[in-house]
Amino acid sequence: MIDMRLLVGEEWAEWYSMTPAQRLEESSKLWQTYLELGGTLDPEPDPQSPFYDPEEWRAFTAHGRAGVRLVRRGGI
Amino acid sequence: MRSLLMGGQACVLYGAAEFSRDTDIVTVADAENLRRLQAAVEELRADRIAVPPFERHFLDAGHAVHFRCQLPGAEGIRLDVMSKIRGLPDFTVLWDRRTTLETTGETIDVLSLPDLVVAKKTQRDKDWPMITRLVEAHYAQHFDTTDENVIRFWLRELRSPAILIDVALSSPKVCQSLFHERPLLQHAAAGSEELLRVALREEENAEREADRHYWAPLKSELEQLRREHRRPRE
Repeated sequence: MIDMRLLVGEEWAEWYSMTPAQRLEESSKLWQTYLELGGTLDPEPDPQSPFYDPEEWRAFTAHGRAGVRLVRRGGI
Repeated sequence: MRSLLMGGQACVLYGAAEFSRDTDIVTVADAENLRRLQAAVEELRADRIAVPPFERHFLDAGHAVHFRCQLPGAEGIRLDVMSKIRGLPDFTVLWDRRTTLETTGETIDVLSLPDLVVAKKTQRDKDWPMITRLVEAHYAQHFDTTDENVIRFWLRELRSPAILIDVALSSPKVCQSLFHERPLLQHAAAGSEELLRVALREEENAEREADRHYWAPLKSELEQLRREHRRPRE
């Protein structure tokens, strides 16, 4: 038997050991925090997706919505 | 309405973690169910976004129809609907194999884990670590099982070399019976982690290529629909 904590680390092992309901609850909390911090539900560009439409994405960002915004740059 | 949750939210329920901004469902595209879906979409005040239109033949062809909800409380949530997924059987079979979860008094019908794993075998980078996590999580939750069906599932789908070797060595007969189906299991049975990693990468690349091939005509159709959709505004 493999020790999952050694293989995947403490956080993942803990996540795996939760029930679906617990994971749903933790995920909801993360979403709440994300939205309170100003996160958006707009999709991120995914050029590997078969549904990706570069024209739509250009129009989307040109109107000042969504997209990746630089909030803070690291020191490197 | 008969539908099954799939995508990132289903992954969270099974033990992977994806910061998914949309809700993906698979549904049966018959007249009655689509009428119910239309009613649900209206209740959510969801507008269809992008192409294709919400029509049965597009769902039957394997396209996804995309909506964005406007109902307060669900505002901005994107809903993607499909009825056909590469590598998976008809919805009736998926429905029979579904997982039903109860959370805070509600029931959620979810694509079964083996079906979700197949659905995630796409051309996108981000789906492959998700498959690894999904099967790892299942192994972590059931590592002491003796159920041969579960062991077969792991041997068919595990992507973590160390765990795959562990399962192969502890269930050699089951492993050997699957050599023809998944040849890389021979490396797992021999404990050759390095060769196994290479073979897993090759297996992934072949699936990605198969997914690109599957989507090529559908992408052409989407591009044509986009051109037609934009033409009046040009």
